[in-house]
Amino acid sequence: MTCIYDAWSEALRIGHDQIQLKKEPILQQTMFDEYVHVDGDNVKAEKVIRSVRRDISDEAYLDVYYASLSVEEDALQAIYNFLRVGFAVGSKVLEQYSNPHVIRMLELRRKVGNESHHFNEFARFQSLDRKVYVSHLEPKSDVIMLVGRHFADRMPSEHWMIIDDNRKTACVHPKDGTNYLRYLTDDEFESLRKTEQYEDEYTEMWKTFFQAVAIKERENYVCQRNLFPIWKRKHAVEFRTLRI
Amino acid sequence: MNIEIKNSNYTTQEKLQILADAAKYDVACTSSGSSRRGKKGELGNTEACGICHSFAADGRCISLLKILMTNHCAYDCKYCINRASNDVKRATFTPEEICELTIEFYRRNYIEGLFLSSGVLKNPTYTMEKMCETLLLLRTKYHFNGYIHVKTIPGASDELLAAAGYLADRISVNLELPTEESLRTLAPNKTMKTILNPMGKVQNTIAAHRMAIGKTAYMERSRGNQLLNNGIFSEISKRNYRESLEEKKKTDRLSDGKDGTLPSQKEMGRVDGLLTWDNAYQLAPRDMSGLKRRFAPAGQSTQMIIGATGESDYTLLQTTQQLYQGFDLKRVFYSAYIPLNEDDALPGLGTPTPLLREHRLYQADWLLRFYGFQAGELLSEEKPDFNELIDPKCDWALRHLEQFPVEIETASYARLLRVPGIGPKSASRITHARRYGRLDFASLKKMGVVLKRAHYFITCGGKQMYHTPVEASYIMRQLVSVDKKDVWNIEHSNESYVQLSLADFGIG
Repeated sequence: MTCIYDAWSEALRIGHDQIQLKKEPILQQTMFDEYVHVDGDNVKAEKVIRSVRRDISDEAYLDVYYASLSVEEDALQAIYNFLRVGFAVGSKVLEQYSNPHVIRMLELRRKVGNESHHFNEFARFQSLDRKVYVSHLEPKSDVIMLVGRHFADRMPSEHWMIIDDNRKTACVHPKDGTNYLRYLTDDEFESLRKTEQYEDEYTEMWKTFFQAVAIKERENYVCQRNLFPIWKRKHAVEFRTLRI
Repeated sequence: MNIEIKNSNYTTQEKLQILADAAKYDVACTSSGSSRRGKKGELGNTEACGICHSFAADGRCISLLKILMTNHCAYDCKYCINRASNDVKRATFTPEEICELTIEFYRRNYIEGLFLSSGVLKNPTYTMEKMCETLLLLRTKYHFNGYIHVKTIPGASDELLAAAGYLADRISVNLELPTEESLRTLAPNKTMKTILNPMGKVQNTIAAHRMAIGKTAYMERSRGNQLLNNGIFSEISKRNYRESLEEKKKTDRLSDGKDGTLPSQKEMGRVDGLLTWDNAYQLAPRDMSGLKRRFAPAGQSTQMIIGATGESDYTLLQTTQQLYQGFDLKRVFYSAYIPLNEDDALPGLGTPTPLLREHRLYQADWLLRFYGFQAGELLSEEKPDFNELIDPKCDWALRHLEQFPVEIETASYARLLRVPGIGPKSASRITHARRYGRLDFASLKKMGVVLKRAHYFITCGGKQMYHTPVEASYIMRQLVSVDKKDVWNIEHSNESYVQLSLADFGIG
């Protein structure tokens, strides 16, 4: 959000088409561009959020928020393009499906939304002591806070945490409390990894159930892979024995 | 046969193996239709969209812990693996075991809730009582607030039915076979009456409850249906349906003949059969007042077996439509018959499972619920079965080419929805987007229109995408080649391949 603010104020001087937003680190430098590093700034971010919600709509802000979590390279640029259209048109912008920038925005939103929904489904919790439940995920986009929101409603009176193995962040939920995000140190991360190896009787029973419920006459692995892609299975216990 | 609850020496794990295996032929595994926020101190919530937690080797979703309470059964339905005359391993869960399993699985996010069905132990009432006991325990002692789908046993008492409705989110009775006659041959212990009677009562109760909290009597349907005058959920067809019932009543009194249609609930003579909270409340051994919840918020559903008897797709689809209109079911499921038992009245053991037929029926089911089609438009007496090669919507379009091509920039939502390749989502996007500017084929594609099917039937700004004749045989040929791969995949989905070796040719 801060980078959008800075980019916008810069653009007023040199024109919108001269600006490109990129994620760091930048691997391929280009010759004629000037690189400006932007650090997060709450005040500027607040300003952008406020004007998006006032001048476009809350729905549009939600789209922008989802898109900002996306792993796609051009996500920031897409947000910027969308906001240019959005500030010009107002709240009706979300219905302009023929505008390529709007469509791109909706695509990003849908991708991130779907991914977070999938991890709502495929997250598996495990507990060493029956008190704290831990789940490991490896999402492409940064969705653990979205996933965490789902579980905060579902299991409000348990201690649990969801760990993003790629980013080494954790969404922590204390019993009857609110979620918060935490950056894990390497030591913490290593000790939390162990929870995954642990299996108890219910894990066994779940595997039994998983095997028993499939109908042999209708076996269809292609369909299974379509609906539950292999990269999302890494932490699903029912597939663990199959990987060895 | 000797039926006792004998918790023989099976461990919980072995029981789970047996009873999950026995329950797998039940198709309904949806967790949608009910939205409830979580509560402090309790476990669980429900999401309106439904959540699938895993996908089994057959590609079907696993969202609920789908088990039978017991696979002991007093009935002898010919198609069923658990019929009394089959020699299979039998086991029974205790209520505590079911609750423990549900809670522990739920906490680990393996499942979305419980799907509880059962064989008939001793008699329907006894079985149902046990099931209600389980649910009650789960909701009170274990503070489970997630999704529960319960199958009712045909023939159980009203009190038990009421209790089940208040405890569960969705309640269902399996119709299994669409006509009285095939029910008599294959399921001698069940009659249409014992199945439709509870269905009617549950419907009335759901309607009364919905009215009481200020909603309409009928279940919510997809929003697009409000715009479709011709659909099965529109006011007009509801009125037509009521009129045709009146009409039928008159003629029936004269002829007293039985045609293939389902008896409506009025004919069953139980219009006033309302299940009340008092009914359920008397029954409970412990205080349920903290539990007073809505009656079956996710509605009811049913399932039918296809391919076990000789009914045509037309009969099945008509029955489906009547179930939606007459009993306001949320869903009707189809289950392709898998030969498990040997019997003269059934297809032989080697008969292939009619997967493609099941697929076509589901496609038609969606056309009824989301696209504003009526069963009579898709099939008729003269043409009682679906085309194997192309889907029902394309098939309909080819028979009504006089209505095409449709002009994207001016056609109404209902007309757009009838074009093959355009669904509710892309149709509504088109109606929004065309208010702000011209459309072209590229932007249609971006909006989600499946052009490889749609382009034969639409014009955009007065032009077709390519120069294609609007001619049945030509389009048919093209569409068949588009779909050939999908159709083949469905038909052959459960075959596997082995590398040929020299031995196969008799060499080596």
